[in-house]
Amino acid sequence: MSAIHLQNLVKKFGDFTALKTMDLEIADGEFMALLGPSGCGKSTTMNMIAGMEEPTSGKILFGERDMAGVPMGRRGVGFVFQNYAIFTHMTVRQNLAYGPKMRGAAKAEIERRVGAIAEMLQLSPLLDRKADRLSVNILQRVAIGRSAIMEPAIFLLDEPLSNVDAAFRAVMRTELKQLQRQFRQTMVYVTHDQLEAMTMADRIAVMDHGVLQQVGTPLEVYNNPANVFVARFIGAPGMNLLKGSPAESDRGLVIDLGPLGVTPPLPGELASAVRAARGDVLYGFRPEQVALAERGLSMPVSFVERIGARTIVHLGEGESAVKAVFENDVGLSVGQTATFAPPASSVRVFDASTGLAVKAG
Amino acid sequence: MSAVTATIAEDKMGAVHAKPAQRDEGARLGFRLTLPAQILVLFISAFPLLMQLYISVTDWSPLSGVGWWNAWEMWNSFANYTDLAADTRFWSALQRTAIVMLVCVPAEFLLGLALATLFADDFPGKRIFYSILLMPMMVVPAVAGYMFFMLFQSGGPVNDILSRIVGAPVTIAWLSDPTLALIAVMIADIWQWTPLMFLILLAGMVGVPEDQMKAATLLGANAWQRFTTIVLPKMKTIIIIALAIRVIENFKIFDTLYIMTGGGPGVATETISVYIYKVTTQDLIWGYVAAIALAILIVLSIVAVYAMKRMAKSREVPA
Repeated sequence: MSAIHLQNLVKKFGDFTALKTMDLEIADGEFMALLGPSGCGKSTTMNMIAGMEEPTSGKILFGERDMAGVPMGRRGVGFVFQNYAIFTHMTVRQNLAYGPKMRGAAKAEIERRVGAIAEMLQLSPLLDRKADRLSVNILQRVAIGRSAIMEPAIFLLDEPLSNVDAAFRAVMRTELKQLQRQFRQTMVYVTHDQLEAMTMADRIAVMDHGVLQQVGTPLEVYNNPANVFVARFIGAPGMNLLKGSPAESDRGLVIDLGPLGVTPPLPGELASAVRAARGDVLYGFRPEQVALAERGLSMPVSFVERIGARTIVHLGEGESAVKAVFENDVGLSVGQTATFAPPASSVRVFDASTGLAVKAG
Repeated sequence: MSAVTATIAEDKMGAVHAKPAQRDEGARLGFRLTLPAQILVLFISAFPLLMQLYISVTDWSPLSGVGWWNAWEMWNSFANYTDLAADTRFWSALQRTAIVMLVCVPAEFLLGLALATLFADDFPGKRIFYSILLMPMMVVPAVAGYMFFMLFQSGGPVNDILSRIVGAPVTIAWLSDPTLALIAVMIADIWQWTPLMFLILLAGMVGVPEDQMKAATLLGANAWQRFTTIVLPKMKTIIIIALAIRVIENFKIFDTLYIMTGGGPGVATETISVYIYKVTTQDLIWGYVAAIALAILIVLSIVAVYAMKRMAKSREVPA
């Protein structure tokens, strides 16, 4: 019942297409993050699931049920707003009781349910507080409790952590993840913060410019980005991508990066895929996987950022700039030349003309 | 003089808050900084009030041949107030004013609220209707008075329209019938002041956070439930302000009414302001007028204080 199917979903606002043909399956009980930069269509998708906006075309199904024309109050969807949208003129108790009360539940029944949900969310001592003077983590719990009391099959969360200061976010993330485990509902979580998506979601749907780029578990998305956008967007900093063309050498297939020289040979399966694809490519590898080596690519160090646990070294300039991340510190300084080779297994290759990953095998 | 005031101020502060010295220091500085303005306000509001109080216990009138400051020569030992208590014309004017207020203010409020609800959403031609709707408020009340005077003539447009609806000639003498005249006057007031109510209430309604409305919808509240549980409570402060403004203003209803009926026929539409005006300009007994005016001021002050108290109670930090 609580699985969500989005089929050929399109949303246009006048001439502007916010969402171009989106297909997405969200399983029952899954925590799905919609991740992307602002304006990518993630909030539009969420609003359509909630029923705040009608799709221009395409279908939304909850389980078997088509949601077309079902008003938002009847969809059985819990929604946590970006600023929580707590009713500030009411007490915590009145906020929690709002849904059942509007549906005409009996007084004793409302009291019982409010009591139970408050117990679960540790809000019992705060029930009679005015909701306009609560700290933000309490607000989050009230917002979740107010929706959860309706026992929705689906929970939608619209960037709930974006107004919270960075130090507190980690606490809120943990709390939110625990709550999801408690409620076991299907959750759709909209965010532009990959850290939130990576740490909480079962699967991530990466979106850009109204197009779904990739759906996968956090590690899949991180390790095997489907295209150049995902490669650059996921990871901090994103994947290094260098333009080049495949060339045969006596050690196997290498990528000729022009003035930067040639890369170490590609592993067998990837090499045959690149051979089959032809044309120019982008040679990609994660900054975290850069290791200094005797032989490989040599580039001048242009800038070194030391942030304690990690050191980010900027190499080269312009189109061929590369970032390398090292644990703690590294003996490199500006002006030196670093020679490095990404491990063969971590190299990803993208078609330069389409931007799509060239997949081995 | 400033030394004296400072001492008084200190005494007051000390009595009111027995709080940490630092807080006292701040309050004292605040008092000193606002002192010039306070003196000015005190002078502007207190001087006429004291003058009125002074005259109200005398038989003074502009024709009595002495300046008002010498009115003590005509001291009449509160006779004005005892007269007032026995003045049936005063009491019936007060009653009439109350009736007008009890009809006009709720009517203006409900119409204004309905219009504000309508205008909170978008619809085609909204801007034009909005401008049209605000126009009555901009008409000079005296002009509005003449306009309604013409409209309610027995051969005027109102009867004309009515006769077209009924299909037979209608010749109601609106302004010469005691009851109908009062109704006509109330219609004019409602016409002119509903826009103000609408404007204030619309401002309040637009300020209701949209996501809280959406949240309520998602929790299953229908339009009426949203209105009663979210919109009205959030508008409480602004509703109190709007009602207080109109109650006080309506109590002083004069110009439109005076031009339409002159308080007549007889005293059928004589409200308190019209009565005061007549006593002032026709009977010229200013000591008595001062007594009436003070009595009314007290009534209105009670309304204002009540409204302020309610407002302070319901004030909340907007989300």
